Amino acid sequence: MNYKLRVLMFSWEYPPRVVGGISPHVYYVSKNLAKNGVEIYVVTCDFPGAPSREVVDGVHVLRVDSYKNPAPDFATWIYLMNMNMRKEAAELIRNLDGEVDILHAHDWLVASATIGLKHVFRIPLVATIHSTEFGRRNGIHTDYERMIHETERWLTYEAWKVVCCSNYMVSHVAWVFGVPSDKLIMIPNGVNAADFQINFNKEEFRRKYALPEEKLVLFVGRLVYEKGAQVLIEAAPKILSKVNAKFVIVGDGYMRDPLLKRVQAMGLLHKVLFTGFVDDWTLKRLYNCADVCVVPSLYEPFGITALEAMASKAPLVASDTGGLSEIVEHDRTGVKVYVNNPDSLAWGVTRILLNPDYAEMLKENAYRKVLREYDWNGISIRLKNLYSVVREEYQRGSWKP
Amino acid sequence: MRAIIFSWEYPPRVVGKLAHYVQRLATKLVRRGVDVYVVTFHDYLTGCRKEQNGVITCRVSNPVRTHIGVLTWVLTLNQEVERVAADTYYDSEKQIDLIDVQDWHFIPAAVTLKKAFNLPFVYSVDSLEEHRSHGANSPFNLSIKSIEWLGTFESHKVVVKSEWMKNEVIRLYNVPANKIVVVEPEAEGWMDRILEVYRDAVGSQLSAGGSQP
Repeated sequence: MNYKLRVLMFSWEYPPRVVGGISPHVYYVSKNLAKNGVEIYVVTCDFPGAPSREVVDGVHVLRVDSYKNPAPDFATWIYLMNMNMRKEAAELIRNLDGEVDILHAHDWLVASATIGLKHVFRIPLVATIHSTEFGRRNGIHTDYERMIHETERWLTYEAWKVVCCSNYMVSHVAWVFGVPSDKLIMIPNGVNAADFQINFNKEEFRRKYALPEEKLVLFVGRLVYEKGAQVLIEAAPKILSKVNAKFVIVGDGYMRDPLLKRVQAMGLLHKVLFTGFVDDWTLKRLYNCADVCVVPSLYEPFGITALEAMASKAPLVASDTGGLSEIVEHDRTGVKVYVNNPDSLAWGVTRILLNPDYAEMLKENAYRKVLREYDWNGISIRLKNLYSVVREEYQRGSWKP
Repeated sequence: MRAIIFSWEYPPRVVGKLAHYVQRLATKLVRRGVDVYVVTFHDYLTGCRKEQNGVITCRVSNPVRTHIGVLTWVLTLNQEVERVAADTYYDSEKQIDLIDVQDWHFIPAAVTLKKAFNLPFVYSVDSLEEHRSHGANSPFNLSIKSIEWLGTFESHKVVVKSEWMKNEVIRLYNVPANKIVVVEPEAEGWMDRILEVYRDAVGSQLSAGGSQP
């Protein structure tokens, strides 16, 4: 157990470059792996103002030239960026005398870089599949989508082990790429609970969003169809017939205008507040002020907002789908409601708002669950154990050079 | 001497005139005592075999079947080229002297292997994107040109087939003239000149602290 693992982790985004959820995931995982004695390098795209090499919280960061010439489309740019990534990482590995135990890829965005390096240096590859083209597009419809889909399949084929963040994603990846179950492992996403425990003047902050006599119902998510803000809007009159509330909708997307029109037609403009994007500082305070947090997604591979609500001790109502089904235990850590069903959602929200003791019980259980199962430190130890298993299997095999 | 030639076409897969040229080159190199591996593409005749002319051919297919164009097709095929070249490297106890990459397709693989193993490569130019696309400069053409540029930048020497092409390489990619060697195929002393370029590339790696004997 004293062996010090050396891991190269590949991600197309890492702070300060933040596009989606992979950036914070890689940030927290790599930082906690370093804390747990793993020598870790993150290879990522460059970003204006960020140094090409630095050490962040014990993590060696290498930012490569992300290919800044014109490229015909996003996917082609990704493959060209991977060409540069392979070139610079190959030099890094050679300078480490090839002594790297694991290459770890996050999504197809770094597939061709990591697959090439795997074969050139004969280092085992671990891949995390955060989401799939099939899931994002609800099926495969064009050659462009199929090319990405097949690149994802190629990555799972080349990987020694495939990590998914929920049991839902494990079964989805097994089915959509035909990955054998002994290659798949579930290690959840995490949340840094301490970040959401903050002291501030709640009444003063809350006043900007809701009247003192209104319960604050919070939705956080991109305003796109699959996140289900429209289900909450349809449930709003049903909730308001039982309890006085303000609906605060955080996030932006192509559905913002249609949703606004719908709210206007319902005569509820005074009860629904669209904030647009908000910064982290505001978001954490909103979570802390919420009387109930609603996650009405129609499709959700994981459901990080549910974890953030739980970490902020906001009582949670979530639709019974994807990763949310696993995070929320009905009547214990939250309320589960039927997917795409405003009546069911209204029932769940009023159940919490009208029963303060019940809400209290839910949020205490939820907070304990977050600390127990979704803590980045614990997650990193599970990942480190996976690396050790892969290394042992590799050492026993004949593939090593 | 042991050399790996990368070419996207090689008989029985013939797209243009490059396939037969590379075959003649490989055959003659074998006759001059060079161990020659050719890594190339074939959709289903995959694997390595020793041909009657003594050349060892390794054919790879694309792990990603669906593509939106030749550029993405080439970019995912390169990892299979890297895999087979690395296998050859390990199977021959790391006794590979250099790579000769024919045209732009497998330049990314040659660059990866150079960085990984300190293995020199020469970039043999048959044609350039500028002339194939009649000067078109869409992002698609520019991407291919950027790969050709990478080949001129990272290679030990650029081998061209005419004085005209030498001047074009200088004009388009700002390559110093002494990095370019003109070798007219099938001309008197053709093989001598190729071997001279190869030996020069291997020697450069020796003086740079490379591991080749």
